[in-house]
Amino acid sequence: MSLDNLTKDWSRYRKGIEEGGFHNYEHRWGMAIDLNACIGCNACSTACYAENNLAVVGKERFSKGHYMHWMRIERYWDEDQAREEFPDQGAHFLPMLCQQCGAAPCEPVCPVAATYHTPDGLNAQVYNRCIGSRYCSNNCPYRVRYFNFWSYPESAWPEPLNLQLNPDITVRDKGVMEKCTFCVQRIRTAKDKAKMENRKVKDGEFTTACAQACPTSAIHFGDLMDAESAVTQLWAKHQVKRHDEQGLPVSTQHKQNPALRGYRVLEELNTDPSVMYLERVREELA
Amino acid sequence: MKETELHHDKDIRDDLAWSQINSDILKSLENPRRGYWYTVIGCLVLLAIGITAAVLQYRYGLGMAKNHPHMWNLYIATFIFWIGMSHSGTLLSAILHIVHADWRKPIYRFAEAMTTFSLMTALLFPVIHLGRLWNFYWVIPYIPARGTWPNFRSPLSWDGFAIMTYLTSSALFLYIGMLPDLAIARDNTTGWRKKLYSTLSLGWYGSDRQWRIFRKAYMLMAIFLIPLAVSVHSIVSSDFAMSIMPGWHVTTFPPYFVSGALYSGCAAIVTLFILLRYYFRWEEYMTLAILEKICKLTFAIAMVWTYLNLVEFSSVWYGHDIYAKEVLWSKMTGAYAPAFWSMMFFGSVLPFTLAFQKLRRHIPTMMAVSILLNVGMWLERWMIVSPTLAESFYPWAWDVLWPTLTSWAIVLGSFGWFGLLFLTFVKIFPSVSMYEVKEMVYHRKLAREKGAAHGHAGGAQPAFSLSMRKEDGS
Amino acid sequence: MSGNEIKSFSPAPFRSILSAGSATQAAPLPRIERRDFLKMMGWGTVGVTLAGCDLPSTVTLEEGKETVVSYLSPEEYAIPGVGVWYASACLQCPAGCGIHGRVREGLALKLEGNPDSPVNRGKLCQMGQSGVQTHYNPDRLGKPQLRKHGKLVDISWDEAWKVLAEKVGAASGARVAWFTGTVSGHQAVLIGEHLEALGSKHHFVHEVINNAVGRAVNQDVLGEAMPRLDIDKAKLVLSFGADFLGTWVSPTHFATEYAKFRSGTRGVLVVAEPKMSLTGANADLWLAVRPGTEGMLALGIAHALMKKGVSVPEAARAAVTAYAPEKAAEITGISVQRIEQVAALLKQHSPSLVLAGATVEGQEQGYQAASAVMLLNVMLGNVGKTLVSRGEFPFPQLSPRTGNTRDLVAFAAAAKDKALDVAFFYGANPVYTAPDSLGLVAALQNIPFKVVLTQFPDETAAQADLVLPVASSLEDWGTHVADYQPEQGVITFQQPLMEGLYPGTPGLGDALLKLLKMRAAQKYSAFNDYFSYLQNAVASLPEQYRAGGLTNKQLWEQTLQKGLLTVDSAPGSLNTNVGEITLNEIKADAEYPLRLIPSPRLGLWDGRHANIPWLQEAPDQISKIVWDSWAELHPSTAARLGVQEGDVVEIASAHGAIKVKVYVFKGVHPDAIAVPLGQGHEEYGRYAKGLGVNPLKILSPAVDARTGELALYGTRVNATRTGVHEELVKEGRNNISQRGRKLVATITAEQFRRTEGV
Repeated sequence: MSLDNLTKDWSRYRKGIEEGGFHNYEHRWGMAIDLNACIGCNACSTACYAENNLAVVGKERFSKGHYMHWMRIERYWDEDQAREEFPDQGAHFLPMLCQQCGAAPCEPVCPVAATYHTPDGLNAQVYNRCIGSRYCSNNCPYRVRYFNFWSYPESAWPEPLNLQLNPDITVRDKGVMEKCTFCVQRIRTAKDKAKMENRKVKDGEFTTACAQACPTSAIHFGDLMDAESAVTQLWAKHQVKRHDEQGLPVSTQHKQNPALRGYRVLEELNTDPSVMYLERVREELA
Repeated sequence: MKETELHHDKDIRDDLAWSQINSDILKSLENPRRGYWYTVIGCLVLLAIGITAAVLQYRYGLGMAKNHPHMWNLYIATFIFWIGMSHSGTLLSAILHIVHADWRKPIYRFAEAMTTFSLMTALLFPVIHLGRLWNFYWVIPYIPARGTWPNFRSPLSWDGFAIMTYLTSSALFLYIGMLPDLAIARDNTTGWRKKLYSTLSLGWYGSDRQWRIFRKAYMLMAIFLIPLAVSVHSIVSSDFAMSIMPGWHVTTFPPYFVSGALYSGCAAIVTLFILLRYYFRWEEYMTLAILEKICKLTFAIAMVWTYLNLVEFSSVWYGHDIYAKEVLWSKMTGAYAPAFWSMMFFGSVLPFTLAFQKLRRHIPTMMAVSILLNVGMWLERWMIVSPTLAESFYPWAWDVLWPTLTSWAIVLGSFGWFGLLFLTFVKIFPSVSMYEVKEMVYHRKLAREKGAAHGHAGGAQPAFSLSMRKEDGS
Repeated sequence: MSGNEIKSFSPAPFRSILSAGSATQAAPLPRIERRDFLKMMGWGTVGVTLAGCDLPSTVTLEEGKETVVSYLSPEEYAIPGVGVWYASACLQCPAGCGIHGRVREGLALKLEGNPDSPVNRGKLCQMGQSGVQTHYNPDRLGKPQLRKHGKLVDISWDEAWKVLAEKVGAASGARVAWFTGTVSGHQAVLIGEHLEALGSKHHFVHEVINNAVGRAVNQDVLGEAMPRLDIDKAKLVLSFGADFLGTWVSPTHFATEYAKFRSGTRGVLVVAEPKMSLTGANADLWLAVRPGTEGMLALGIAHALMKKGVSVPEAARAAVTAYAPEKAAEITGISVQRIEQVAALLKQHSPSLVLAGATVEGQEQGYQAASAVMLLNVMLGNVGKTLVSRGEFPFPQLSPRTGNTRDLVAFAAAAKDKALDVAFFYGANPVYTAPDSLGLVAALQNIPFKVVLTQFPDETAAQADLVLPVASSLEDWGTHVADYQPEQGVITFQQPLMEGLYPGTPGLGDALLKLLKMRAAQKYSAFNDYFSYLQNAVASLPEQYRAGGLTNKQLWEQTLQKGLLTVDSAPGSLNTNVGEITLNEIKADAEYPLRLIPSPRLGLWDGRHANIPWLQEAPDQISKIVWDSWAELHPSTAARLGVQEGDVVEIASAHGAIKVKVYVFKGVHPDAIAVPLGQGHEEYGRYAKGLGVNPLKILSPAVDARTGELALYGTRVNATRTGVHEELVKEGRNNISQRGRKLVATITAEQFRRTEGV
């Protein structure tokens, strides 16, 4: 990272992009979520609870917004629903999780660098370092960061529920920010295993808890640095790119084929999310 | 009313004897009116409430005060409020000092104390609002064993530096400015006070050399403090301006914050002016003429603030950023609309009372107005923080939060804390600068004599002047 | 074991393996068997993710002494720090999914779908994911309870078995009954054998969420109760209230099929129902049909098809002719254009598949309405294309005894008639699910001895004379056969993923064997326990299941490793015997103008999962409400009643009333009021108790004329505002619109087919 480059293009520096390539990335975990397949059933969300030791907060605290849906299913209705008597084109479901942005707004604002960019392209959250200033959450356009407003270990797992806790990751106590990690414990296990066997991590060798549970396989997870991975192929198929040859951000609004379904949520903010969504499909039945 | 007639157009009587000044001011260390003690008790109660709430919040977690997505709320709003309060001390003591505005002299001391104490109050909030406040020192760049430094890119860590620097400098400025007065106090007291003042006055005996060095040091500090004061609030504003959130990501925030800060600070000075005048029977020193001048200053700043508000609104309007527009629109029409319009009323309409001389000279009115102005300014800070959190990019997470009892209690507690610090200060230290008042009286006398020689009627001066006054420099 | 001992164990993650010695002493089962159990589990390993490190020693508590237990020669199933996956079966609903459970340090931690299972194909819904929270639930019963002086008190297992032997021994065999949920496999066999040994015929099988009427229609028309539904081969699926993505028959399986259905040429989904289900929320066209008139709508569509030249079976001609689209439109509230449009779509997209679900079947003329829906399949020629014969299951004795509500009615009647002396309850909670109008709770007083085998202190357990805690599904052995069998027939094997949390607690099979030994000791003396019974059953499998000449042991291990046994059955062919359809017009009721829809939720199901915190905290898929009940009202109905979201209304039927908060929602017909199932528990546990209401309580006792099934969706109610207002707790308070942002973008199917279609 030369000073030259830094002064040349601050925006590219921020994204760690040099000469059109990723800077030092080993992997770049990414997702593709097909809204044509998503049925909004919540399986991913509960799987996430089971895998990541998410605390159940209870009705009272839920009402204050203290819940911990790292993976949440949003449900919208047609914009023109106000005029119609019935929602006759169904609902819009959107599984929303941390977008693991390439230029994450949450990262630069943390006063103690508890949230930072890993060489895997993840927005890591270091629980031990977090002092709970919550600036990251304020600056997250997707509002996918969840704060431990209370000491959940005191209440969320009465014995013997605590025996279910995944020992691969911690239980967060009060005052700490947390969010989707792309199941970093699974990533680590797979990487360790690959390293021991002296090979690269294979596509499909592991996946996140949400993708594994999804009954319609709407969630695809993989390495965007691996040209062969299913996710890379999907991104390519739908002509969604993180940046062009010069390393400058590209908008999917200028895709060669605008009929393709790939897009990233709020991409006009130039946060470079690692999650691509494929548009929902509905029959035209006027 | 009588004195109003007496000194209708004079900042201070020019026939005050220096010994009388000494005794009048030093009396404040001993026998304030009863109202002082009532206020102390009130502050103690508020502080106790605040501490209770803070302890409970520490024990059970921040859920007592916040919700998603309102990660910041009253605490940060009140933090900005207190930081803002601090600015007027610097305005009076430093800016008006280097422009030689003479009328500041009887009142800058307590304003400067207000600066220091409101900074000390403000500093509590970023700590109280932390999820794990016991680790607050991690934002300080001490030499870490594990090579973990704070994140220098975060405006929050700049905040830390800026505020600490400002606090240190303004405390130093306050102290330096007090040196001659401490010596006077030393010479006129006994017992523990004498010991205290002897130590603090650093052997001041008023030699010519001491005065010369003192003048230079004081002027230097004043010059040093001015950019610092401006930068502190600019940096605080960058907590918001550097984020990407609509309603926060505004380029005019630094001047907007600074003007708001001066505004609330001036209003607070009016409040404290009236209180001190009452507690210590300082009608001779804190004259209505001076009150009028602060009021006029406040009015001017209010208009600047109003202008900057309009700049912000119109830049949002013409900027065509739908998100920012939405936030502005929801501020004006949504759940927070009552607070927003109260802020506009208190901040931009109410100050017009300051434009009328009759009202300016009516103490109960000014007391009420100055407090309401500060309510307006507090609302301004809240209206900066909360509406953006309530409605930003992501409609799914839209939610309005009304502050909880816990957060109100802590906010009230901060007033108790500030009040207690301030009231303790004015009881221990001379809160009117004796030597500068003497200077002022002397200047007046000279001016009167000169005026008489030149055939002018009385020692009338322009009510508010930022121009260099020749006699000051002499 | 006392609660204290359990408490002291829980912080030590190794407890369940290493305390095995001490645990077995308290348990009735000899030590050696338990070790065998676990050894077999070791063999059942399907995959080990190994981080490869030296095996450390550990300190644990054994019989109150601190002992250092070396891991130098550990059990295969316990490698510290390494998760081992075992295959088993999911019992969270009767769909019969296979699971893989991750076990680390002797604790089951995470469940995933078994990729080998043709039912769920490696996927697992939220209820399946929550199996661990059923297992580790803090409200699980650890000790048997006996009613003494009117109160249930803890007793020892020895006493429990003694009391049981006395009471059942004293009773007349023919007056003993089993009341269960859907059961299958060898557990069903043993229940049958127990009743046979007693000389009783009383096996009542009850499920609220069932498709009993549909099965009857299938049986009568197609000749098979549960044919295969090839959703993925259909080009259009028309569902009349069959929430196949949520709560109908085998939701996870159908969701995997749905994904295929929606890719490639992308089938069209049309859903007609009075309250939007999860399937309805995914429809291309959702039709709000007036509740109770789905059959007329089907006939109206049939009529429109007839006009387009589709032939109608002779027997149904009269009914079809009677419902011209204009008439159907008037009755159902669906416009003539829509009816014509759906008919045109059906004709255009062939093969299609037309499904009838609970809202059609749960009516007083449910059988007739479901027949009208089936008529569409026959007319469109779907039978044999998307409705395919499954053939007879090769082990009919293992086939499920499918739950229904007829048995609930019959049980209540039998109890009222004092026809029963002893009743065993398992897998059902009739005190919670039975409408008050059946008078079940009072009738239960007529049964002198009620034994409830359960994991939770639920409403039925509260009425019991003896409560026997049973092992959780993650601690038990079993075999399961799903009612709906996908292309590959399958027997799912359930094996324990870990030792029981509450020593002494038997599995269902073990409890049944114990009961059987009380009656016919000799016949079952060969089986020490259910484990050996199952081993024996596998050993007795015919040659065709031993590809490559597997020994008994190999076959057993292989089966456990896979978690299932695939079975083949020769598919036959389906009939198209459409009978006469007589749908009477529905009369309006001025006093009770609304229909109550007790809508099932994927999540809480029929209320059995109400004590699972994850599922309580998971928002309802449509309303996004958590931890509560609500009444869905159309805005026009709400306006008429003068209520808004959060206002409490009283919903009264002729048989009772409930008070519930309103959720104003356009996805419900103005003549309907939908209250979700699952809440309103008076007992059960800390998470379930005191939340919401149970709409089942105020249902009328009316039944479908043909099948005797309760008309669950036929109850008429009125609603009045109470003036009380309470905020509903839901995710995303401002959750109606995207406010012009491109969060979920939608394109047309035409465009999709152009760019991605096959």
